[in-house]
Amino acid sequence: MTSGALSADKHGGGAPPPRKPHIELPFLLDFVPLQDEGSTQVSRFFSALKEGRFETTRCTACDTLLFQPRTTCPECMSTELRWEELPQSGRIYAFSAMLMGAPIGMEKDLPFVLGLIDLDGVGLRIFSRFEGGSYEDFAIGQRMRLRVHTFPDGRVTYRFAPAADTFPLQAKA
Amino acid sequence: MDKVAIVAGGTSRFGVRNLTWRELLQEAAAATFDAESRILPKEIDTLVVGAAEPERFAFQSYVAPLAAETLGMTPKMLLRTELACASGQMALRTAWAHIASGLCDVALVAGVEKMNLPNMAETQASMACVLDREWEGLHGASAPPFFAMCAQRHMHSYGTTVEQMAKVVEKNHHYSTFNPTAHFTKEVPMDKVLRSPMVAPPLRLFDCSGITDGAAIAILAREAIVPDLTDTPLWVHGWGQANQGFRTGAIGDLASWPAMSLAAREAYRNARVSPKDLDVVELHDCFSISEIIAYEQLGFTPEGKGGAFIDEGQSYIGGSTPINTRGGLLGCGHPLGATGVAQVVELFRTLRSEVPPQRQVSGATLAMAHNLSGNANTHSIGIYGLDKPGTAA
Repeated sequence: MTSGALSADKHGGGAPPPRKPHIELPFLLDFVPLQDEGSTQVSRFFSALKEGRFETTRCTACDTLLFQPRTTCPECMSTELRWEELPQSGRIYAFSAMLMGAPIGMEKDLPFVLGLIDLDGVGLRIFSRFEGGSYEDFAIGQRMRLRVHTFPDGRVTYRFAPAADTFPLQAKA
Repeated sequence: MDKVAIVAGGTSRFGVRNLTWRELLQEAAAATFDAESRILPKEIDTLVVGAAEPERFAFQSYVAPLAAETLGMTPKMLLRTELACASGQMALRTAWAHIASGLCDVALVAGVEKMNLPNMAETQASMACVLDREWEGLHGASAPPFFAMCAQRHMHSYGTTVEQMAKVVEKNHHYSTFNPTAHFTKEVPMDKVLRSPMVAPPLRLFDCSGITDGAAIAILAREAIVPDLTDTPLWVHGWGQANQGFRTGAIGDLASWPAMSLAAREAYRNARVSPKDLDVVELHDCFSISEIIAYEQLGFTPEGKGGAFIDEGQSYIGGSTPINTRGGLLGCGHPLGATGVAQVVELFRTLRSEVPPQRQVSGATLAMAHNLSGNANTHSIGIYGLDKPGTAA
């Protein structure tokens, strides 16, 4: 912790302390989920994503496709689930952007675009950050494609970018 | 089941306050009770505290005993309710259920939220974790972009305009100028809304309710005790609630909120009334678009016609259904746990003809309070009236 961040002398010459104290992010202000096998039963979602596959679980008992990946089927309570790859393309259903008021840790990302993607053919609507443009560059119905986003600490998530502007999925060795 | 009525209530001033969580509660208590009160907190056997995120906003769990000690109570039954933005209404409903079932006689319901912290980004993070933090929050999901998408889809499907949304803001801020406890007490004309900074397009700053500190208290009692406590009670007539999903991608088309019409249908059925019977409504205008969608889902106008409803002035005093004459969340601010209680304190006063004339709906006898929570996946409704349930003419 930076206990000195509030002290005036750190800024020299009796300057006033910064109006907003600097606060390091403790775990309970960190939005990115823990992804390793020691933390979650669906770590395969994240390890697959690192390899360029977008997966979720399907119930082998009642055949329901489940997103997010589950350990128990909410339809029939079966625990017999299998991993299945999802399409990585879809169309924008709705979108907006954050221009101010970002949660802590995301202020540096401002402005950013986010919205809902209807994945092709599976009846799933996924919320995601958008890449590859600013708010004005997107439209309802636009074709989008998944990209893997790697955080500096190695954790991953998916984001969507315009299909025409799609980079090949970057597999991490 | 026993009939239950609200017999007293009061609120703190809402705003960016130099008060701690427990000081907000004390200000609401001072507004509710004085030495002449027919009952004091220490004589009340039940305490229900509505508080959404005291852990995050005040670094304090277990707030019901804290509140009891602060108010001088030693209740035989106490708990806290949490349903994000509907936490206050859930406190009212929980108190009602305990009284109606005979478990207690009188309940003090306190809604409290301290939201202004030294670091606004931390407040925004706490607001964002009401949504699905692991799967949507990490992308930057929070309330403004969610309701912005609802606005986008409503405009896309029905041709609703930003001017119509701005008119909702203008109306609610107009009424809050007559509410000395409101966070915002100046007129906000439409052009000021439309020139305010964009937060999450198409929503601008004034389309959004504020980050607000506040507290509110209501006292509920069972029928046999009501006459000892007030001559003009506000009776609980019925409740409705519905939920549909959690994840933003799982809650429907965004332009309509089916869970809201389900909750409304249940509330109307339980209270044996219809939308046109309501004289005044407090509904959850956390964003301007929320009020427009609510006009439709609560049955005041057909789906898609919410924009026309405000254009026609139907939600002003003098219109078919006066709405948010307290000033709404847009005008009063939205201290999460306090809002639902403050709305009902407003209905209590309005139906007793105790509010300033500029926001008084004269002759009102039947009213509704509505809260949505999270990404509008859950809707909670209470209907209240001056007539004892089952005795209306």
